[in-house]
Amino acid sequence: MPELFRALGALAGPPEPGLRRAAELLELGPLPDETEHTELFLFQLPPYASLYLGAEGKLGGEARDRVAGFWRAVGTAPPPEPDHLTTLLGLYANLAEAARAGPDPAEAGLLGRGATALLHEHLLPWTGPYLSRVSELGHPFYRSWATLLKAAVREAARGSEHTGSLPLHLREAPDLPDPRAEGGEAFLDGLLTPVRSGMILTRADLARAASDTGLGLRAGERRYALQALFSQDAARMLGWLAGEAEAWVTRHQGLVDDTEVQIAGFWTERARHTATRLAHLARDASEAQLCDGP
Amino acid sequence: MNLNELSSKVAQARAEAEARGETFYPGPSRIHLASFPPKERWNDWVELDSKAWPERKERRYMLVPTTCFNCESACGLLAYVDRETLQVRKFEGNPEHPGSRGRNCAKGPATLNQVIDPDRILHPLKRVGARGKGRWKQVSWDEALDDIAGRIRKAVQEGRQKEVMYHVGRPGEDGFTERMLAAWGIDGHNSHTNICSSGARTGYHFWCGMDRPSPDHTHAEVILLISSHLEAGHYFNPHAQRVMEGKQKGAKLIVFDTRLSNTATHADFWVSSHPGSEPAILLAVANHLIQTGRYNREFVRRWWNWHEFMQELHPDKPATFEVFEQVLKTLWADFTFERAAMESGADEGMLRQVAEVVATAGTRLATHNWRSAAAGNLGGWQVSRTLFLLNALLGAIGTEGGLFPNAWNKFVPKPIRSPRHPDWWNELTWPTEYPLSLMEMSFLLPHLVKEGRGKLDVYFTRVYNPVWTNPDGFSWIEMLANEDLVGLHVALTPTWNETAYFADYVLPMGLGSERHDIHSYETYAGRWIGFRQPVLRAARNRMGESVADTRAVTPGEVWEENEFWIELTWRIDPDGSLGMREFFESRKHTGEKLTVDEYYGWIFENSVPGLPEAAAAEGLTPLEFMRRYGAFEVEGKVGPIHEELLPEAELEDVRIDPAGRVFTRAPKPESPNVVPQPPLDGDGEGRRRAGVQVGRELLRGFPTPTGKLELWSRTLHDWGWPELALPGYQKSHVHRQNMESDQLVLISTFRVPIQIHTRSANAKWLDEIAHTNPLWIHPFDAARIDVKTSDLVRVETEIGHFVAKAWVTEGIRPGVVACSHHMGRWKLSGDGQRQGMATVDLGQEGSNWALRTEEELGPFESGDPDTSRIWWTDVGVHQNLTFPVHPDPISGMHCWHNAVRVKQALPGDQYGDVSVDTDKSHQVYKQWLEITRPADRHSPDGTRRPYWLLRPVRPERPAYDLPTNGKEPGPAAPAEAEERASSEPDAPSGAE
Repeated sequence: MPELFRALGALAGPPEPGLRRAAELLELGPLPDETEHTELFLFQLPPYASLYLGAEGKLGGEARDRVAGFWRAVGTAPPPEPDHLTTLLGLYANLAEAARAGPDPAEAGLLGRGATALLHEHLLPWTGPYLSRVSELGHPFYRSWATLLKAAVREAARGSEHTGSLPLHLREAPDLPDPRAEGGEAFLDGLLTPVRSGMILTRADLARAASDTGLGLRAGERRYALQALFSQDAARMLGWLAGEAEAWVTRHQGLVDDTEVQIAGFWTERARHTATRLAHLARDASEAQLCDGP
Repeated sequence: MNLNELSSKVAQARAEAEARGETFYPGPSRIHLASFPPKERWNDWVELDSKAWPERKERRYMLVPTTCFNCESACGLLAYVDRETLQVRKFEGNPEHPGSRGRNCAKGPATLNQVIDPDRILHPLKRVGARGKGRWKQVSWDEALDDIAGRIRKAVQEGRQKEVMYHVGRPGEDGFTERMLAAWGIDGHNSHTNICSSGARTGYHFWCGMDRPSPDHTHAEVILLISSHLEAGHYFNPHAQRVMEGKQKGAKLIVFDTRLSNTATHADFWVSSHPGSEPAILLAVANHLIQTGRYNREFVRRWWNWHEFMQELHPDKPATFEVFEQVLKTLWADFTFERAAMESGADEGMLRQVAEVVATAGTRLATHNWRSAAAGNLGGWQVSRTLFLLNALLGAIGTEGGLFPNAWNKFVPKPIRSPRHPDWWNELTWPTEYPLSLMEMSFLLPHLVKEGRGKLDVYFTRVYNPVWTNPDGFSWIEMLANEDLVGLHVALTPTWNETAYFADYVLPMGLGSERHDIHSYETYAGRWIGFRQPVLRAARNRMGESVADTRAVTPGEVWEENEFWIELTWRIDPDGSLGMREFFESRKHTGEKLTVDEYYGWIFENSVPGLPEAAAAEGLTPLEFMRRYGAFEVEGKVGPIHEELLPEAELEDVRIDPAGRVFTRAPKPESPNVVPQPPLDGDGEGRRRAGVQVGRELLRGFPTPTGKLELWSRTLHDWGWPELALPGYQKSHVHRQNMESDQLVLISTFRVPIQIHTRSANAKWLDEIAHTNPLWIHPFDAARIDVKTSDLVRVETEIGHFVAKAWVTEGIRPGVVACSHHMGRWKLSGDGQRQGMATVDLGQEGSNWALRTEEELGPFESGDPDTSRIWWTDVGVHQNLTFPVHPDPISGMHCWHNAVRVKQALPGDQYGDVSVDTDKSHQVYKQWLEITRPADRHSPDGTRRPYWLLRPVRPERPAYDLPTNGKEPGPAAPAEAEERASSEPDAPSGAE
């Protein structure tokens, strides 16, 4: 299905009129407005592997280098954004296509293994939770897109020869820092780092947090907004986040599929750990508030 | 439908779209970097008007390609022509261009600023009153053409061809004007190259017969740059993107630069060496490769002229490769890392590391030197020569990731007509003192004229500003202001410049989107041509209109230059009796003027392999194809041409001489590519040189006297420089031992990436970003003279001084100061360019000149509201005025670096002040003249110049003979002149 991956990759780019034909063939409905694309892919859910798999939860860094290294390993110069979803889908399409077309069976086998490795190391580990959020936050067009992409990734995974073992970078990913041991700053960063907290907290989620807790939302990037929420009422925020982590446990459990048992298991455990830690912290904070109270 | 079916459906739709020549995934997609409008929609492209925001107003465009004219690398541009107003609204990159691949630097889009500049010259202007007083009247093209043509005609009829000269700054084309001058019978081509790249060219030329490097950065393991290519200067966009590709693939980047340039900031190793010491380091690296046996023995054995070297220098030893290798070990044995560190001031440990990295490159070593050290120092040509030595040692020549000679990666299509060469020698551009100078001794012109060596009756400056750009500008003003020395000065320029103020006619020429040229540049291991065209002419063609005269679509009376030259030639020679007109006559319609459509149409149909077929596949003529896409890749991958076997067809009555050179009676095969190559002598029995024997094979080899790479140059040896016949290290004129203890070296040649040489003053976007040139000075030196950033400093050269602002920075070596090129533009009061220039007063008392700013730059009202928003006043300092000429006795290159004294400004000094004594500058000229070894004393064969060296508008062979018995052969009067038509194409040198 290389072309399907390529087309889905292209459709994650800005909705150029020239993409209408591809969208139409995939029966995704009319192309959305550019603002919908911007809102989803620039403000809420930027589609970069390094954001969801990196231990810093930020663009670039070791996680992006790892993906760039993969490009080099398959003999292709990494593009400026090697871990962008569109780029990765394009690369997958190229590898899968070359594996089929290659005249040399040994080379074809190598390329085929490259495609499988890309799928299991750099796509499957994050597209499950990521696409589930797209399905909630995106314009109907992108919801259909996410559903189709999820199906395509799973279908490709089913057809590939892979042991199903968990990628090393997930196995070695650190969990949520304990603020009592590592400080508040590291804790805040950890909450916003999906691979550590097991949650993807978007701007929309923080707005919801403010609304649910009755706290004021400060406009700014996510970390600034989260810090502002904590500074107003840490205990209440911890409680809200504990509930959020519980919801993520359920969400991850719902994503379990025969192609990603290990991966979904990782995310579930990560969210469960976070939920437990946050619940403890919330309880401690409430008690402290009571003691410090009037 | 299952997913596989869905995928097949999309794949099928994509295949169908692409079969139609359309793009299936358009837009800024990461799928295949197609962030450009798909080419099938270039006729009607819709975009929202950014200025109408927040209203969503659609604008429809025709996208018309052209080639950027703001440097020489010929990147592709796409003009967005508004279909409603037929005006260009913006310029972006042309994704169909193989060199620039849709990417541009800031200078490309800034073409728009130049097009709409409210002060641009729109009509032919003629001087009123004394020359240089700044008063002009508008005249018709007819009046200007008749006046200029009449003078040239008279000069030719009276045998005074030598008084006609064409002096070019930015050529932007491959050979049109050289051929035109040849058609006129004029050896009057003058370029700016000796203030630019002659130093580097010379070093390359003596090695391989070609004068320019074309490194394959993309595939290199190690990239070694002695320049600031990645970020500055022109050429940088096509190279920088490939340097970055190489780095992304893991290549190591080594940069030699005294200054912390943007390039240096990207380097794995930044070697900040004392100016001029670069060859000492390179020889230490070479010596390391030799002593540790890590050179490519087989390549050296096959391709170096070691045999000739052994016979000439070691006749007592057996001329075997093994013995040569023993000698090789001794050649640069004294260039230790310790010595290199001492000469350069660089860290010895780092130099060792650099050598180790170079040793790992194998045949994937991409090196480059263009100006930089080669343009700064006495003996600077040895920089590129010693750099090339590294490639020659590793066999990294013509290899993937290695270095190619330019001529292998360039395509110059054979033109519609090829005039023969002039039959006389121009002493004003090629004086006997500089027989090995690679290009014209252009910057010496005022001194040569001052000495009575000749005068000019008609002098064209074409997109050239010697008063500002050349060293010693006041001597240029003295020459240009003297009507006895320069009878008529015609400035062909799209913008006002300092030289144009001293012209008799200022003629408005087109910008990058208003002129025709064919252009090819070595960019990667392939060959391409780019087409520059008046985009509004092409737009009207697309709408079904025919434009015969480009003036119909340019602003005011701005003219397309080729049409101008064709018209001028017809007026010089209206009846064809001078033998000029025939070269500008139509082939289709006898007796009629050649049109630009026919000229380019013929070339694209007949001289560009593959283009007619590519055009036919889209149902276009070759000319229509080029007007639509703007560029064509002739060959995607070029390999090691020296290793090509000579084909059977070229082997007829072959003779191989003892040196292995292969001669044949078979005529040279016709080639549509007339890229300049040295002419090599035949065997004297009617056979021509075809190649060289290596082992048992007869191969193409290199275009050098031996057919091999010339480690040892017989040319240098025989023409008076035996001590420099091997690559070596000459101590620069700014070597520490040649300077006083209180002097510093001034580097004045570096560029800012967002400036256009001397044509930025009317590019408002570029000027806003960079508009001044403070003096870089190290904190140690700043402390010594007690100055801080922004303090005024007086910089004293041999002939005067200038007053600049200090910028204290650790980005420069102690003992060296630097002041960027570009800035310090000025105008005299009166008309002219208001934007980007200060108004100055020029004072003269005898040979003492002074320039002082009378009015700084400020906002002003014009048709462009942005000019009222100019917020800066500082336009920099014109430092070049204070530099005397420093011609290298071999390469002829002006050695730009100066030994200067930097002091706190004196009371009364004002920012921007310049003071110069031109008598002193003439004395410095004479001092440098004394170190030359003139042809009349050193020529081994009674000629003026080695015939095999490249030369623009090469005269006929007899003109190479030195004058005898005091009689100098001059140009023949037309009656005596031979028929000029010839089937041999001219060999333009690609000057720039």
